[in-house]
Amino acid sequence: MRRDLELIRNETVKVWKKKRFAVIVLILLALVPVFVYAQMKIAQSSQGKYEDWRAELRQRIADNTNALTSDRIPEEWKKWRVALVQQLQYYLDRDVNPNTPNAVRFTNTFLQNAVGLFIPLMVLAVASDIVSSERSGGTIKMLLTRPVRRWRILASKLVTLTMYVSLILVTTAAVSYLVSGLVFGYGGWREPVFVGFRLNGSDMDTTGVHAITQGAYMLMQLGLVWFSAMTVAVIAFMVSVLVRSTAASLVTMMAAVISGSILANMASSWHSAKYLFNVNLDLSVYLQGSPPPIEGMTLGFSLAVLAIWSLAAIGVSFAVFTRQDILA
Amino acid sequence: MKRRKDRLWPVLGTVCLLCTALLLLGFGWALKDTWAPSPGLVLPSPTQAAPQQGSQWTSLPEIKAIAIGDSLTRGVGDVAGKGYVEDSLAQLSESLGKPVRLNGNLAVSGLEAAELDDKLDGKAMQDAVAGADLVLLTIGGNDLFRSSQQAGGSIAEGGGVDPDLAERRLPATEERLKAVFTKLRALNPSVRIAYVSLYNPFYELAQLRAPIASILADWNGYAAHLAEADGNIVVVPTVDLFQSQSARYLSSDHFHPNEAGYARIAVRVAQALN
Repeated sequence: MRRDLELIRNETVKVWKKKRFAVIVLILLALVPVFVYAQMKIAQSSQGKYEDWRAELRQRIADNTNALTSDRIPEEWKKWRVALVQQLQYYLDRDVNPNTPNAVRFTNTFLQNAVGLFIPLMVLAVASDIVSSERSGGTIKMLLTRPVRRWRILASKLVTLTMYVSLILVTTAAVSYLVSGLVFGYGGWREPVFVGFRLNGSDMDTTGVHAITQGAYMLMQLGLVWFSAMTVAVIAFMVSVLVRSTAASLVTMMAAVISGSILANMASSWHSAKYLFNVNLDLSVYLQGSPPPIEGMTLGFSLAVLAIWSLAAIGVSFAVFTRQDILA
Repeated sequence: MKRRKDRLWPVLGTVCLLCTALLLLGFGWALKDTWAPSPGLVLPSPTQAAPQQGSQWTSLPEIKAIAIGDSLTRGVGDVAGKGYVEDSLAQLSESLGKPVRLNGNLAVSGLEAAELDDKLDGKAMQDAVAGADLVLLTIGGNDLFRSSQQAGGSIAEGGGVDPDLAERRLPATEERLKAVFTKLRALNPSVRIAYVSLYNPFYELAQLRAPIASILADWNGYAAHLAEADGNIVVVPTVDLFQSQSARYLSSDHFHPNEAGYARIAVRVAQALN
């Protein structure tokens, strides 16, 4: 046990020394202000146009309802808009403003938009070379000559990866909250959000809808984002075991993640695509109650798909790593 | 150097562990909330906006207007999508010498009188009407023309518009218009309502001209009668605007006005209101 802890410590410090995490923080510090600025511009442009948020919301509902009456928009968009209209209506009927500008709201929206591409990318910065760099650098021989079973070494790397994924996510949320708070104010933790919208065909089932605080929503969303980020991390981990070159493993994973976000937008009629891990990454849609990319997907289904992919990836990683011949 | 390294691991390790624990907690909570939700926050019950009392336009610093109804209010047929609403309010503002603010164009393309009647039972619409000083309204065209169109017909050729069917629907639709006016008045006793009446989009089709004209005369007359009874509703006539050279003022769908057509309606609405 002590020895395992030593291994984890060794790996964690190694990743830290490679300055990967520093790069991620820098990227966040550079990008989040850009998004905050864009959001501020949007808020400014609608300011003064409406008497209050209710008028603005009414107009949004009317505009989306009108878009629905057009025959030219594709069926999936319609479903998405129907869900949106009914949700906004629910908020309006209960006199709850779904768009109060504050740092917590911004962070929630940011996480929701980042879960498909941005967060996987940051996770890959750590995950895709955690094993392959040892081999391209030749340090793997030093590692394996220690009197420790190979699977323990790999397990320590996996634990390290898990810890970094968590750290990255919490840092993302924290940076987003701290930066956006400068503009929108740091309040909003206790404001209500409605969850539990269920899509029933094209109709919204609101029987299970209940209000939670935005703070709780953020925590739940972070938890779900963590699960999908871990799936990406574990699969990247496997690729990193299988592929010798860091560049190759990074490109493979990026291609997988990007194709997932493209597929999620166009594969609504290809039903078996829902078994691909990359289509299931956006777990926050279930919290929000917007329609999933492919009909029939539920939170349980997506979690199961991601879990099976993750377990398979872990299995392959260990099987390969413990048997592999280390040459070079 | 050695000491710095020594401090890195305890701090980093603890922070990472705390983050992981936090996220696991969030994950578990999300699952619990999805599959076994607790009752949730208790929110204050929504309040209904109170209708504004006895407001004379002359005493108001600003006129708040809303627009409701169907595609004509929406501006369908206008390439810029503006319709008559903005222009007429701008002209009204000029002639009144005070700002007129559009507090929302809530018109929905394709809306029928019955649907508008239903919408007026919703809180969103009720609040909007209650807070307004002026309501711009178009309704009825879809009931009388679109719904009496048989499947497959092209509206450009008057395709399948059945005057007999439209005429049979007339009494029921007129009842709906009455219900809409009554509800608007109940929601806001002092609001001014401008109802833009119907024009004949089929004027150039000889076989439809006469029967549709008589239906429109009945409908617009009924609307004027309701307005008379209410006292604070104006009916804006548009029939004459689209009679001669209707092609110049109708859009390519031969049903909705184009920009020039909407501009003419806008002038009428502004004039009728002041």
